Amino acid sequence: MQKKVLMKVENVSKDYVMGEVTVNALRGASFEIYESEFIVILGPSGSGKSTLLNIIGGMDLPTEGKLFLGNEEINKYNDRKLTAYRRDKVGFVFQFYNLMSNLTAKENVELATEMCKNALNINEVMEAVELGHRKDHFPSQLSGGEQQRVAIARAVAKNPLMLLCDEPTGALDYKTGILVLSLLHKINQQYKKTVVIITHNMAIGDMADRVIKMGSGRIVEIKKNDAPIPPERIEW
Amino acid sequence: MKKLDLRLMRMLRRSKGQFISVAVIVAVALCIYILFSTTSTNLENSVEQYYEMTNISYLTIELVRIPQGVTEDLVSIEGIRNVQGRISVDVPLEVEDDNEKVNIRLISLPDDGGDINKLFTEQKAGMGPNDNDSVILLEQFAKARNIKTGDIITPRINGRIYRLKVSGIASSSEFVYLMENEQTIMPAPEKFGVAYISEDFAQSVFGYKGSFNEMLVKTKTNVDIDDVIDSLEQKLDKYGIKKIIKLEDQLSNDILKQELDGIEMMSNIIPVMFLVVAAIIISIMLSRIVNNDRMAIGVLKALGYGNNKVLFHYIKYSLAIGLTGAVIGISVGILLAGPISRYYTVFFNIPLAGLKIEYSYIFYGMLLTCIFCTASGLLGARRVIRILPADSMRPEAPKSGKRTFIEQVTIFWKHVPFSWKMVIRNILRNKKRFAFLVLGLAMAFGINTVPLYMKDAMMSMFELQYGEYQKMDYTIQFTKPQNKNVIIDLNNLIDADKIEPRIEYPFELAKGWRNMTVNVIGVPRQTAFHKFVDMRGNVIILPNRGVFITEAIAEELNVGKGDTITIKNFIPGKKDIEIKVAGIFRQYLGANAYINIEAMEELLLEKQLITGVSIETQADLKEELKDAANISAVNSVDDMYRAFSEYMDLMLLAIGFYMLFGGILGFALIYNSTIIAISERAMEFATLRIMGFDKKDVYGMISRENFVMAGIAIIVGIPLGAGMIKGMVESFSSDIMTLPFLLSPDTFIQAAVATIFFVVIAQLATLKKIYNLDFIDALKSRIS
Ligand SMILES: Nc1ncnc2c1ncn2[C@@H]1O[C@H](COP(=O)(O)OP(=O)(O)OP(=O)(O)O)[C@@H](O)[C@H]1O
Ligand SMILES: [Mg+2]
Repeated sequence: MQKKVLMKVENVSKDYVMGEVTVNALRGASFEIYESEFIVILGPSGSGKSTLLNIIGGMDLPTEGKLFLGNEEINKYNDRKLTAYRRDKVGFVFQFYNLMSNLTAKENVELATEMCKNALNINEVMEAVELGHRKDHFPSQLSGGEQQRVAIARAVAKNPLMLLCDEPTGALDYKTGILVLSLLHKINQQYKKTVVIITHNMAIGDMADRVIKMGSGRIVEIKKNDAPIPPERIEW
Repeated sequence: MKKLDLRLMRMLRRSKGQFISVAVIVAVALCIYILFSTTSTNLENSVEQYYEMTNISYLTIELVRIPQGVTEDLVSIEGIRNVQGRISVDVPLEVEDDNEKVNIRLISLPDDGGDINKLFTEQKAGMGPNDNDSVILLEQFAKARNIKTGDIITPRINGRIYRLKVSGIASSSEFVYLMENEQTIMPAPEKFGVAYISEDFAQSVFGYKGSFNEMLVKTKTNVDIDDVIDSLEQKLDKYGIKKIIKLEDQLSNDILKQELDGIEMMSNIIPVMFLVVAAIIISIMLSRIVNNDRMAIGVLKALGYGNNKVLFHYIKYSLAIGLTGAVIGISVGILLAGPISRYYTVFFNIPLAGLKIEYSYIFYGMLLTCIFCTASGLLGARRVIRILPADSMRPEAPKSGKRTFIEQVTIFWKHVPFSWKMVIRNILRNKKRFAFLVLGLAMAFGINTVPLYMKDAMMSMFELQYGEYQKMDYTIQFTKPQNKNVIIDLNNLIDADKIEPRIEYPFELAKGWRNMTVNVIGVPRQTAFHKFVDMRGNVIILPNRGVFITEAIAEELNVGKGDTITIKNFIPGKKDIEIKVAGIFRQYLGANAYINIEAMEELLLEKQLITGVSIETQADLKEELKDAANISAVNSVDDMYRAFSEYMDLMLLAIGFYMLFGGILGFALIYNSTIIAISERAMEFATLRIMGFDKKDVYGMISRENFVMAGIAIIVGIPLGAGMIKGMVESFSSDIMTLPFLLSPDTFIQAAVATIFFVVIAQLATLKKIYNLDFIDALKSRIS
C-alpha cells in the first residue's frame, strides 16, 4: 500500500543563540510524515526531539530548512498563519498534561474546540477516552493518567491532521502509561490520525509504524516497523 | 460563555480580596467624578436660573450722587435695557452684646420691589418694604442672628438709633456669598448683613433727596459691555463715578464662580489620581498573574489562540475590575449627587434648578475607566506576547539570576546584614514595579501635602497681612472726608497709643486700554502701621510721588516698576493724574494701591482731608466710639481674627477629608503590593522558614521593603507635592486673594507622618496573611 505524504521536512535546522553561545539544537533533519501514520521519536536527552516536534507543530520556526504541508510552506508562515495552523491542523499532548487548573475536564476540552470549525462531538470524545463520567471534575480531582487522557481528548477533539505528543507517558507509571498509549493507538486506528510520540523508552518504539532515532541534533536512523505490536503487549 | 472567560471568572473569584480593594479605588474615583461634576453642573444651572429669575444687574455703578432724573435718561444709551437707582450705605447695627461689632448695609428698594436684582423668597421673586419703619432682611443674616419677621432691628445712622421692624426675610442674587468687602476672607453672616429699606426712608435719612449713590444696569444681550461702560463713563463723569463693577467682577459672583471652579477641579484631579493608582496596582497584579500563568499561556498559544486573544484575556481581567468599580462608583455618585447638590444650594441660599443626570459624564467616566484599565492591562500583561507556545513544554523558566550592581560593590555589600541584602536585592530585581509603587505612594503623599499647605497658607496669609504688613489694631472709616484735625479730637476721645491718618478711595487705574478699579490708600511716608515688602522680600519705602501696587494689579495692567499709569479721577472738578509705579508689593488679601498721603491729598482730594484713621490701642474702640458721629465703620483686627479661627475649624474638616483620600491610596498600594509579594514569593519565604527564620523575621523583611519604599516615595513626593501646591496657588489666586507660595518643612513632615501612618495600617492588614502562610504547603505546591 502506497502511503500519502502528509508533511515533508526538508533539511531543517534550529540554532538557539544565547549571548555568545550558539546551541545547534537541530542540524539538517529531513524526513516525511505519512497520513495516519504512527511515529515514535527516540533519542537521548538534549538530542533535539522536542525542538523537532515544536517545529513540526508550528510552535517554533526553524532557523533553516523547509516544512511542506501539501503545497503550503509552513516555515514561511507569519505569526497569524502559524496560530491558525496550530489551531486547525495540530493537536498537542504534553508531558505534564498542562490542563487549566480552574476549568473542568470537559471545559478544558471545550477551550480547545470552541475556536475550531470542524471539531468533533465533545461527549463522544470524552467517552472515547473513557472519562464520560468524570467530565465535570477539575484536574486536581483527577489522577495523572486521567489528566493525560483529558489532554489527549483536548488534542483529538479539535479534529487535527496530526497529534504531537512530547513524552506523554513520562510522568506516568507503567500501567497508566500503557493505558495512555493504547488510547493513542486507538485514536490512530479509529480516527485515522497521524500520531507522533516522543519518548525515552525504546520499548515503545515497537508499536510504531516507523521509529526516528535522534542524536545530537541529527536524525541518526529511521527504522520501518513491518509488524508493529499493540501497546498492551509492550513491556519495560 | 467562552471557556476562556469562564477561566477568568474563576480567577477573579479566587483573588476576591484584591479584586475588591482595587475595585473600591476605581469606585471612589468614579463616584467623586460623577458626584462633583454633576453637582457642579446642577449648581451652575441653579445659579443661572437664579440670576435670570431675579434679573441680576450686569453692571453696578457706585457714584457720589446722581439725580433721579438722570438715571431714567440712561436708557437712551445704546445697549442698555433698563436702569435702577438706589442708595446703599453701610452702618453699624446695635446688638445686645455691646462688644460685638455688627455692620449692616442698608439698601433702598423701589416700592414695587424693582425690576433689577429682585429679592427672592420661597414664594416669589420681587417684593418691597411697605413703609418707612420696616425692612426686609437678608436671609443669611437673619438666620445667623436668629432674627424673625416682626422683630426689631436697630441700625445706628449718623449717630442716631432707628428702630425698624423686619417685615420680611428674603435672599438676593447679589449676595449669594455675603461678604462685606474684598478684604474679608470668608463670609461671616452674623457680623455683616443687608437690609432693604424704602426709597423714601433712605433718601431722607441719608440726605439723598431725589438722588441715588448706586445704579444697577441691565444691558441688552449681544452688546459689548465695555462700549456701554465707556458711554456711561462719559455721561456720568460729573456725578463722581467711584466704581463700575461688571457682573463677572462682582464680589459674590466672583467667589461663587471660584467655588464652582474648585468643585470642578476636584471632580477632575482626584479621580485621575485614583485611577492612576488603581492602574498601577492592576498592572502589578497582572504582571504577577502572567508570570504565574506562563505555562498556561504557552498552552493556549499551542492550542491555537493568537497573541491578541490571549492578551485580551488578561486585559479583560483589568476591565472587569475597572468596570465593576465604575458601575458601583457611578451608581453611588448618581445617588449622592442629588443630596449634595441640594446641600450646596441650601448652603448658597439659592433655589435648586432641578436635578439632572448628565449622561455624558457617565459616558466619559466609563471611557476614562476603560482607557486606564486597558493601559494598565497592556502594561501588566504585555509580556504575554513574548511567551512562546513552546514555553508550554518547559514547566518552569528559571528566573535570570544576575548580580545587581550594588552587589558588585563588594566592599559595601560585605557589610550589609543578610536581611537587608534580601530587601535591596528584591527592590533592584523589580525596578520597574518598585518605581511605579514609589510613584503611587509619592502621589498619595502629594495629596496629603496640599490640604496641610492650605491650612498653613491661610494661617500665614492672615498673620503676614495683619501681623506684619498691617500692624494697626483698628481702622476707622468716616462717613465723609474730615479735616486732619479730627485726629486731635479722636486723641482726646480715646486712649490710643498711636493714630495715623489714612485716605482710602476707589479709583480706576489705567494703562492703555487696560484698567482696573481698586481702593487707593494714602498713608504717611513714615507709616508705623504699614510695611511694604517687594516680591523679592526687601522692605520698600513709599516715595514722595509714586504708587505701590500689588502683583495682581501689575499683572492686570501689564505694568512693571518704573512704568507710568493713569489714575482716573471720578471726583467732579479733579483731573486725572499720571503717576509712576514705584514698586510692586506683597499683599495676600485684596488688591490695593498705596500712595504717600500728602501726594494723595494734593493730587486727588482736597488738601487736609482724610477719610479715616489707623489706630494702635489696648482699648475697646467699638465700645468707646459707639455714639461717635461721622464714623461709618470701626474695623478690628481681633474680630477678623476670631472669624478667621472659626473658618479654620471648618477647614480642618476638609483637610481630614483630603488626608483620607491620600490615605486610601497609600493603603491600597501597600496592601495590594504586599499581598502580591507574599503570593509571588511564597517559595522564598518558605525556604527562609526552613532555614530557621521565624514568622516575625519574614514579616520584618516585608515591612523593611515597604518602609524603604515609603521613604523613597516621600523624598520623591516632596517635589511632587511642591508642584501640586504651586498648581493650587495658581488656580486659587485671584484679584481678591493671593495664596503665598510657601513650602514649610512642617507641611512635608506632617504629610510624611500621615503617609507612614497609612502604610503601617496597610502593613498590619497584611499581617495575618503572612502569619498564616503555610511554608510546607508552599514548598509542595507546584505549577498547576
Ligand atoms: N529555548 C531554548 N533556548 C536555548 N536552548 C534551547 C532551548 N530549547 C532547547 N534548547 C537546547 O537545545 C537542545 C535540544 O533540546 P530539546 O529540548 O530539543 O532536547 P530533547 O531531545 O527534547 O531533550 P529531553 O529528552 O531532555 O526533553 C538542548 O541542548 C537544549 O538545551
Ligand atoms: Mg524534550
